Amino acid sequence: MTAHCKFVFAVLGLACLSLALCGTVAAQGHDVDVAVVVHPDTPVSDLSLADVRKVLLGDRQYWKSNLPVVLLMRAPVARERNVVLKIIYQMSEAQFKQYWIAKIFRAESASAPKVVYSNDMANDLVTAVPGAIAFIDAREVRPGAKVLRVDGHLPGEPGYPLR
Amino acid sequence: MCFRLSSVLVFLLAAGVALAQSTASSPPAEPSVQELLDRIERLEKRVSELEEHERTQAGAAVGGSGRQAAVPAQAGQMGAPSSSSHEHMAPSVEVQEAETHYPSLQVRGFGDVDFSATDLKGTNSGFNMGQFVLHFASALSGKVSYFGEVSFTAEPTTYELAVERSIIRYDYNDDFKLSFGKYHTPLGYWNAAYHHGAWLQTSISRPEMIKFGGSLIPVHFVGAEAEGNIPSGGLGLGYSLGLGNGRGELFSKAGDSGDVNSNRAWVASVFARPARLYGLQVGGSFYGDKLSTTPGTNFSEWIAAADVVYIKEHPEILAEYANVHHHELGTSQDFNTTSYYVQLAYRLPWQQNKWKPYYRFEYIHRPGMEPIWDFSSTPSVVDLVGSTVGIRYDITNYAAFKGEYRNTRHGVNEPNVNGAFFQTAFTF
Repeated sequence: MTAHCKFVFAVLGLACLSLALCGTVAAQGHDVDVAVVVHPDTPVSDLSLADVRKVLLGDRQYWKSNLPVVLLMRAPVARERNVVLKIIYQMSEAQFKQYWIAKIFRAESASAPKVVYSNDMANDLVTAVPGAIAFIDAREVRPGAKVLRVDGHLPGEPGYPLR
Repeated sequence: MCFRLSSVLVFLLAAGVALAQSTASSPPAEPSVQELLDRIERLEKRVSELEEHERTQAGAAVGGSGRQAAVPAQAGQMGAPSSSSHEHMAPSVEVQEAETHYPSLQVRGFGDVDFSATDLKGTNSGFNMGQFVLHFASALSGKVSYFGEVSFTAEPTTYELAVERSIIRYDYNDDFKLSFGKYHTPLGYWNAAYHHGAWLQTSISRPEMIKFGGSLIPVHFVGAEAEGNIPSGGLGLGYSLGLGNGRGELFSKAGDSGDVNSNRAWVASVFARPARLYGLQVGGSFYGDKLSTTPGTNFSEWIAAADVVYIKEHPEILAEYANVHHHELGTSQDFNTTSYYVQLAYRLPWQQNKWKPYYRFEYIHRPGMEPIWDFSSTPSVVDLVGSTVGIRYDITNYAAFKGEYRNTRHGVNEPNVNGAFFQTAFTF
């Protein structure tokens, strides 16, 4: 086998390996919808993505005058948080932190989103805290939870934007 | 031999492509290792919860609960609340932690250390301490909040303490929030968006038209303010209306201890944040006041400002314009001072988005004779043409280095001044 043949062999072998790995990674990174879940007494059932963004940016702070919005966000590196940051906030983790520091100390909001550490905790709190809104892996939403339609779609439906 | 080996490998490559495509396009049947680990973690947590629940029940008096097992989630049930949600009532500790307790207090500090060197004759290069700033935010109830801001500024012999903002606000709803206190005047964008604390803003310094201690725009406002959203669908309109003391005896300061005359200043602003153009804000604001320089000499002041900003950092665009109109009531003379700035920045995508270069052009033009600006021995507002080019590097999420080069000309027929400025700004 000449040096040229060895080189061709190595390149093609690496290419095969890379493609196989790409396929595996693509298969593992499939999209799962993130459901927007609110406390059962919240007087909304359908929001546009722009409205969800308004709520998450703290520009809409009340569902109605006696029911403030309580934002629940998964802790950093959770997939639900990444989806919310990418699709709704369109910010990096650092930008998100800076945004809320500035928001609070501009006197535009009294508190930042509350951090939840698991989908279980998010399910627990969104059921118990009036006005709460949480973003939960659609597979882990508990029965009876109030899941909002976003742009007219529920999780799992075509066109659902949070995935 | 080589040709045959290559042919086999090309076949393998083609097979790899086909395999990769079929794997990627087929429904994901196998969960990833991370997903399995997550699932194990959840199951472990659930087991510990159930064990805890059993322990609690064993300790309690025996009684039929009549509870039913949770029904597995069905897509059709997602929108409908049911009684089974009571199965999952949150542990009281978690709920207590999530609830806001009143009064709650958040304190955040800001600081910066600066170095400057210019070719302006008579100035020294060197380090200086920037402002040390403390911000306070406290929810007093679900509807009432307090916000405060104090600054310590280095002076030759001491530190000057100043209350920069002190606001108590009542929220009726998103459309109406009423507050009282001392504000940064909601005139234009920058003054209400970037407060004391250099870390908050991209550049080292504020534009001269709204610099702290400057006179062109009344930076502070003492009085009452109503603000909120205007129901407008995707247009995203908001408003702010204020009534207050206006400028103090020193035009650069607000009348914290009382108004200098019996005329109130007012400010009104409206802005739009269109839902379809996330990140864009367009606003306009007006400010009116009556100024009394000396007994019997009165001026009306009317400031019109407009701003366009795009704040998503890819790019970041800030542009403001303000015209300050003074009308001498005795002689009916009019004076217009024009100012604007445009700042462009872009958060570079490399190295975890830490680098952000920026450029700002700013301009101020005042009439040759302007009694308000020339009221004190040295003019409080002068002509300006200036360019600033710099870069910000975010060392962490809470600290940044900034470096700037400025070329500015203050006054008419004055030489341009070049300067290099460095700053480390942080929040804690």
